[in-house]
Amino acid sequence: MSELIKKTSLVPRIIPCLDVANGRVVKGTNFKKLLDMGDPIELALKYQHQGADEIVFLDIKASVDNQASALAMIKQVATTLSIPFTVGGGIKQLSDVDRFFNAGADKVTLNTAAVENPELINQIANKYGSQSLIIAIDVNHESNGEHVIYTHGGSKRVKKPYQTWIKEVVERGAGEILMTAMHKDGTGSGFDLDLLEQANFPLPIIASGGANKPEDFLHAINAGADAVLAAGIFHRDEFTVSEVKNYLINNNISMRV
Amino acid sequence: MKAGIINLNSGNLLSIVSAVDKCGFETTVINEPQTGFDVLVMPGQGRFGYVSQQLENNNWREFILDWIAQGKRIVGICVGMQLLFEDSVEDESAKGLAVFPGSVEKLKHKKTPMVGWAQLTSNDEFYSQQFVYFVNSYGVANSDYCIASVNYGEKFCAIVQKDNVIGFQFHPEKSGDYGLELLKKCLN
Repeated sequence: MSELIKKTSLVPRIIPCLDVANGRVVKGTNFKKLLDMGDPIELALKYQHQGADEIVFLDIKASVDNQASALAMIKQVATTLSIPFTVGGGIKQLSDVDRFFNAGADKVTLNTAAVENPELINQIANKYGSQSLIIAIDVNHESNGEHVIYTHGGSKRVKKPYQTWIKEVVERGAGEILMTAMHKDGTGSGFDLDLLEQANFPLPIIASGGANKPEDFLHAINAGADAVLAAGIFHRDEFTVSEVKNYLINNNISMRV
Repeated sequence: MKAGIINLNSGNLLSIVSAVDKCGFETTVINEPQTGFDVLVMPGQGRFGYVSQQLENNNWREFILDWIAQGKRIVGICVGMQLLFEDSVEDESAKGLAVFPGSVEKLKHKKTPMVGWAQLTSNDEFYSQQFVYFVNSYGVANSDYCIASVNYGEKFCAIVQKDNVIGFQFHPEKSGDYGLELLKKCLN
């Protein structure tokens, strides 16, 4: 560990992620049917009380038909929570981002829109500052050993090489990178530690995909993740945020308690 | 008690308004200088140069300096704290309010912005060891008025105070229950 890294009072963050549709927290199943998991405000508050350091709301369908409910929810979150929150999903252009920020979001996250229109990264960074923008990158470890990025929820392969894209995202003004290892996502086999160890980027990295037990968080943080995002492990009530944090503290990781 | 939130057109004010409300204040967002408040809050987000430029609108600069000269209470948050200093390397031609001597510098860590929770170091036990939420790439390395600090590559000021002028480099409105406690104490 370098001197510079050691000289920090920052602690790694634990970030529960909520998928929201039509104002409700949902969970997709293999049958593409969405299961209702509850009220987003109630769940976010529950995680805040458990010690969550931030909350991410994803897949907020900001299309015209249910935009009003998404924005009403963001407003309610902004006036209720006392920790930072990020929203993402359905962002196509700067005006979508404007609506999210006007409703009180602290940060936005984008994936497909950034790849399709990289200039949007510059526009958001210039208007709201880098700190307001998380670029999500879905990476797959292909059978030939290559790291390839995907968009559209993991369905569309992108030609631009992974390393080139990261460099571009940083230069255009992203504040943080949310890295999902697709080959690990939902497998419960832990994060892709090699990917995190190689990710020596000049901005914070949020690791996502694969957390199934507190040890997975420990390994991701030891591999260099500045924050860890997880959904299922918390939603299924397998572990609370505080249980994960206590495990990390017992393993010599400083945490906010 | 009445609090006025200064609108410098830099970021959404919903969270800070809600937080000040929760501290028991009657809270009003003010788009131009206005009196009748017990305390003013000056939030700021984005570039130093941009927010500093907003001070030139509506005579904010004169009004705020006059407010401070009268010994009234004001709380600056994030870039709103940085504006209380002379200038910033982020935008060298831009002018701060120079209530505190010194310049805002780039944080000396390879990862910027600094994002997340950090534990305060302070001689005052109300601040000491408490976790607060930071989002910044710049900061004030040193000040005689620094009453709490954190490390990020190098030590920098988290809280500065001179009489009734208080600055937070972090976001108390995003710092959980302790953040609200802190706001309540400093607004009163």
